[in-house]
Amino acid sequence: MELLRLHLLNYRNHEVLTLEFCPGVNGISGPNGAGKTGILDAVHYLANCKSYFNGMDAPLMRHGSDFFTLRGIYTTGSKEEEIVIHVPAQGKKTIKRNGKAYERVMDHIGLLQTVMIAPNDIELVWGGSEERRRFIDLTLSQALREYLEELVQYKQGLDQRNALLKALKGKPSDPVLFEAIEHRMVPAGNKIYQLRKDFFTQFTPYFESAYERISNGMEHASLHYVSDLESKEMQELLDEHRAKDVVMERSTRGPHRDDVLFTLNGHPLKRYGSQGQIKSFVLALKAAQFNYFVQQKGQKPILLLDDIYEKIDEDRAQALMQLVSSGDFGQILITDTHAERVKQHVNAPGLKTRFFTLDRNGNMLT
Amino acid sequence: MESSSRIVDDAIQALASFPGVGRRTALRMVVHLLRRPEPEVLQMAQALERLKKDLCLCRECGNVSDQELCPICMNPSRNRKELCVVADFSDQMAIEATSQFRGIYHILGGLIAPVDGIGPDELNIASLLHRVQKEHFEEVILAFNATAEGDTTMFYLARKLRDTGARITNISRGISVGAELEYADEATLGRSILNRTEYSF
Ligand SMILES: [Zn+2]
Repeated sequence: MELLRLHLLNYRNHEVLTLEFCPGVNGISGPNGAGKTGILDAVHYLANCKSYFNGMDAPLMRHGSDFFTLRGIYTTGSKEEEIVIHVPAQGKKTIKRNGKAYERVMDHIGLLQTVMIAPNDIELVWGGSEERRRFIDLTLSQALREYLEELVQYKQGLDQRNALLKALKGKPSDPVLFEAIEHRMVPAGNKIYQLRKDFFTQFTPYFESAYERISNGMEHASLHYVSDLESKEMQELLDEHRAKDVVMERSTRGPHRDDVLFTLNGHPLKRYGSQGQIKSFVLALKAAQFNYFVQQKGQKPILLLDDIYEKIDEDRAQALMQLVSSGDFGQILITDTHAERVKQHVNAPGLKTRFFTLDRNGNMLT
Repeated sequence: MESSSRIVDDAIQALASFPGVGRRTALRMVVHLLRRPEPEVLQMAQALERLKKDLCLCRECGNVSDQELCPICMNPSRNRKELCVVADFSDQMAIEATSQFRGIYHILGGLIAPVDGIGPDELNIASLLHRVQKEHFEEVILAFNATAEGDTTMFYLARKLRDTGARITNISRGISVGAELEYADEATLGRSILNRTEYSF
């Protein structure tokens, strides 16, 4: 699946912007603040119904406007697909596929896949466990329909349970009320654990071989899924910790605490990894995400490379660019402050390329 | 964005508190109101005022009413062995519009939603439990929106009513997940009332 055209309306600093992409490598350059990242994020948004960088929609609206609209025309072989996302300041966001609105926003997620590589991805290693869960959720929800359903189901139950625990202020409550809230969390929690476990069985080999390629086989990197549900199933966890949860005023066990341990030669990456190894690790996670999508969906995701020179050293970036030029990837969008650098690094015979330059106000120069 | 009148700004702010109404829409509404004749606007204001001042809730079922008992509770031809429990009077209106139900109602005044600070004590649940204990209904129908809150409330009530001797049924099947009763079309809603099933845990 390739993105042929992208239209932005009131999105971030872009009042109106249209870009026509080629199926190969698309370089977008311009000074800081021109809105290059916003273009990649719009492509991410069209696939995931939310921003890669912002949890909320309001900051994405151009200053002074009360809505934004994203429109993407895609091609899958001979067929064209039009996706339009309209987000008003007041009211519900709507998503239309070929003119027909989805009943629920989440019904769209999984149709398109994107892999974003951005400077702040290093937070996967340095950040809290929520960063790593976000990566798992983003990957699985783009690949498996049922995952998102279970996640929403669980999240709704968890929010209600935590609100109840807070309202109780340490006092015990009607056990039937707990049961009423938990009866939805239990099957969903067990299912999420199962799906994540199966995911790592599939994903880890992709990751290990990607890391090996990036680091030339210098060390062995691996992933270890960590979950409360390894030892006990959801109902047992809730039953055992309910009294403690009342005192703590929050749910202390469940898949909302899941994490992934990153290791290098069996040691925790965070503690023992060098700067370079950590960067390679993050790149390998993204490469594995790419391969996982290809395997699950039978189509190449759109690769979004945001300011990769920002956090990666020149050598590694050049190696990445060579990888990108190799033709193993499908469509790619790259942003950089220097137009020439991308042009220089992306050159392979037969590779389709197109370059865009934005001025400081986000207007297209070429 | 402010107007040159405090009175206008207050009216905008009041109207903008409606769900789905933003400041721009509220401003348009104020412009409209200013253009209408005074008696019409005062009548409108009075209609709103009476919602809080004169409206009663039926002492039997909790439905909105102009008197102590609502017309349905007073109607001798209704089947007093079948009780339909709904969240709000708008749901009761939707079910009534299908003409497929001849029993009586109980209006909870909302659904259990700890996230919004609504627990069983904030709803007409104690009065429902008391009513079912006392009245010996053959069947209690739980008719809630197919949302997380609807599901939680249904489970809660089904458990609480389990040993009362009444058959506990629900109508949610046939209405798609996330759907709201008052927006379901009459035929669909009517069919799901006729095809209600025993609640199973
Ligand atoms: Zn009544």
